[in-house]
Amino acid sequence: MDRSKIRNFSIIAHIDHGKSTLADRLLQRSGAVSERELKAQILDDMDLERERGITIKASAVTVDMECDGETYMFNLIDTPGHVDFHYEVDRALAACDGALLVVDATQGVQAQTVANAYAAVGNNLEIIPVINKIDLPSAAPEDAALEIEHVLGISADHVQFVSAKSGVGIDDLVRAIVKHLPPPKGDPAAPLQALIFDSEYNDYRGVICYVRVMNGTLRKGQKVLLMGRQRTYLVTELGKFRPQMTPCEALAAGETGYLVASIKSLQDVTVGDTVTDALHPAAAALPGYQPPQHMVFCDFYPATGESFDALRDALQRLSLNDASFSFAPQHSEALGPGYRCGFLGLLHMDIVQERLERECGVSVVQTAPSVTYEVVLRDGTLRHVESAGDLPDMGHIEELREPLIEMQVITPADSIGNIMQLAEQRRGEYRKTEYLSPQRVLLTYEFPFNEILYDFYDKLKSITRGYGTMDYRVIGYRASDLVKLDILINGKPVDALSLICHRSKAEHRGRRFLIKLRKEIDRHQFEIRLQAAIGSKIIAAESIKPFRKDVTAKCYGGDVTRKRKLLEKQKEGKKRMKTVGSVDIPQKAFMTVLEPED
Amino acid sequence: MTTPVRALYVHVPFCRTLCGYCDFYSTRFRSDRVAPLVDALLAELRRWSDARPLRFDTLFVGGGTPTTLPADELERLLAALAAFRDPAADVEFTVEANPATLTPARAAALARCGVNRVSLGAQSFEPRELRVLDRRHRPEQVAETVALCRAAGLTRLSLDLIFGVPGQTCESWARSLAAALALDPEHLSCYGLTYEEGTPLTARRDAGRLRPLDDDTEAEQYEYAMDALAAAGRPQYELSNYARPGRECRHNLRYWHNEPYLGLGPSAAGFIDEVRYKNVADTAAYVAAIRAGGSARVEEETLPPERRARETAMLELRLVAGIDRRRFAERYGADPADLFATAIARHTAAGLLEVDERGVRLTRTGRLLANRVMADFV
Repeated sequence: MDRSKIRNFSIIAHIDHGKSTLADRLLQRSGAVSERELKAQILDDMDLERERGITIKASAVTVDMECDGETYMFNLIDTPGHVDFHYEVDRALAACDGALLVVDATQGVQAQTVANAYAAVGNNLEIIPVINKIDLPSAAPEDAALEIEHVLGISADHVQFVSAKSGVGIDDLVRAIVKHLPPPKGDPAAPLQALIFDSEYNDYRGVICYVRVMNGTLRKGQKVLLMGRQRTYLVTELGKFRPQMTPCEALAAGETGYLVASIKSLQDVTVGDTVTDALHPAAAALPGYQPPQHMVFCDFYPATGESFDALRDALQRLSLNDASFSFAPQHSEALGPGYRCGFLGLLHMDIVQERLERECGVSVVQTAPSVTYEVVLRDGTLRHVESAGDLPDMGHIEELREPLIEMQVITPADSIGNIMQLAEQRRGEYRKTEYLSPQRVLLTYEFPFNEILYDFYDKLKSITRGYGTMDYRVIGYRASDLVKLDILINGKPVDALSLICHRSKAEHRGRRFLIKLRKEIDRHQFEIRLQAAIGSKIIAAESIKPFRKDVTAKCYGGDVTRKRKLLEKQKEGKKRMKTVGSVDIPQKAFMTVLEPED
Repeated sequence: MTTPVRALYVHVPFCRTLCGYCDFYSTRFRSDRVAPLVDALLAELRRWSDARPLRFDTLFVGGGTPTTLPADELERLLAALAAFRDPAADVEFTVEANPATLTPARAAALARCGVNRVSLGAQSFEPRELRVLDRRHRPEQVAETVALCRAAGLTRLSLDLIFGVPGQTCESWARSLAAALALDPEHLSCYGLTYEEGTPLTARRDAGRLRPLDDDTEAEQYEYAMDALAAAGRPQYELSNYARPGRECRHNLRYWHNEPYLGLGPSAAGFIDEVRYKNVADTAAYVAAIRAGGSARVEEETLPPERRARETAMLELRLVAGIDRRRFAERYGADPADLFATAIARHTAAGLLEVDERGVRLTRTGRLLANRVMADFV
């Protein structure tokens, strides 16, 4: 196909601004999908995605689009809409030449609008702003357009006004895509360079790589090399999603499609890697490749009645189609064998946990999430530590560093005071304020990542009456006065309950946690002492009074069977506990640290 | 040759009024239901006696309130049961009674039939507590009934009392115990009030209309009973039972040793030939089943030997004397100290259990926390 007729682009937006609806509408306009087939949001094919209204995995669809008597090839590359998946967004955008920046006319520019726009600009993409939902009564399309111009510096001249839901403005949008988004560059005769911008696992074909050919031509039967992994494969199938998988013989520079090469596991493929010809490799890989970066860690242990093996099998199965989480065996003194898992972010963690339960039917005990800390030892070595339990002895530590994030918050101007207060509580450092309009501001802050890990977003939502939105990126590490907060039960530290936090927060965190823990643990026949400690210093303490009496008063002939069964049940219930020392701790207690503070 | 059955329990389901805490099967007294019930009980007894030798040396008629039966019907029932007593044995024959229902005529009927022990549901000597428990009698009626029994020659008396009653204090409990002791019974049963599933009492608690007594006070009351009754010459011999030495309830001891017994009547359980069975807990259904010549059984359970041994251990732990190691080993071929080694180690370390050559038994603290220990034996 004539490359001047190809358009590779992405739709980017803040969550719920209508990205997927717009994609569906474009598919329908092309005739690739009939109205009847147009189930809401075709591109989101996982149940969870649809339920949560977010797109977890990128998808790519090729359609033939008629425009003013000419046929164009549109390659629509969908991107995840959540902050956890920045890297995937970035790789998807690297496969594009342009982007549609969708903004909800009733909401205006939001935090992830800004983050996504920056990502598009960073990838040198041409951007068409699209103001969506213009048919809603509360729509203010002109204001939204002004905000885009104001904050992002993107001229309002090219703005398209649409209603993806009703189809209004779609023809004009198609025309604008043809006119303003550039066709792909690249040389079909040059050595092959194709970007893997996503991958998924298919039970029949194995791993399917989503590729954008930048230079050269990818052919069926070709022997290819993955330059990052330095592994060679034979291409067994090439094709395009229309949206069904449609095989073809070759993908030339500028085209987008999929590649199947009998790759067994997603772990063998890394998004961002470059595919080249094994015999005539390109001189260099495409820029920007990074291994997935795990920001958040937690441990999963099999819940009672579940075996370790079932958990292992389930994690292995999930990792077939989500290569972005990691898992490695872990042993907790309190909880026994389990897995330490790494995630792109908190939402990603929740999704994996839910998929374990829903798709694999395995229930897990999850420990509190932690970020990765840097530990500089006295001998100068640098270590990464993902949980308080892995910290070396404090005497060997020269310096502890915590990850920092830059956060952008968009909020009504009258909530600034509340946000400043929240930031203060969370050790935030103010950077700047930009006015989107007299009523709305974009605030930039730096925060220690661990301060926003638990409940920051919920807090932000509540203090901005639901209007505040946020986005963040990890920007580096900073030395900080961090401590390991140990939780002791009857004098014995419980590894699965310890955590790392700032010294100034330790006492408050410790006290609150003990109060929650006290409610979770049943009374025993002895007093249970709960303590929070930093090193040998106790900073908070609680106790659980012993119960004095647990005896069945009557047991005569007619009662024997029932009383025996009650005792058997009591015995079973005890199995659901994790016994630490001689204290039975219900599994739920390990999660209480996750509950939002008030 | 089948070994004779030595123990009998008979369930008479009628009560004048139903108490909110009670979860034994009972139904409001109806005179037209008496004769059919007694007929059915006797028919069930006859069926057993046709099948195997019955030579009872302990008999226990409970309920319900057996003394709701009119004197003549009561006597018809008891006389029939008495016919299967072991003539060579020192027989213990107990009937449960309520202070308000035992009349001189009924007491005389009991005595004529060889009943020698009466278990009286006194429950409390505090009017307020009796009201909470839905008991209709006045405290004075207990003494009157005791006197009536003694006059009729029924000299072996046991009184039931309840502690842990909402609103009950350590002082009022001490008063009830003292009042009971003043009547000089040879035996007392002191039960911690239990919120059984499905009872009106539990419903009241769950609806927030009744606040249970706190655990600490109840524990204190329990310990007070152990001390006060021991001091009064009636030491504890089972978790809820106290008696003058030698006057323990032999029939109930059979339950706690997991020995066989025959059970007759609606909802009655029995344990014969290693089969535990239970009759239907419905008087009309029971009568109909027996009349039709069929079985009134609705449950039957046969446990594998190891589980039966565990059940025996659980039951014998209720006894202050505990599990008799030698006897247990004879019955089940295993020393309980070996069979339950882990549980024993754990609970002796916690001070709840003690072991010596003779037995495995709860300590005093262990008696307060018996369920925790037993849960590791079942």
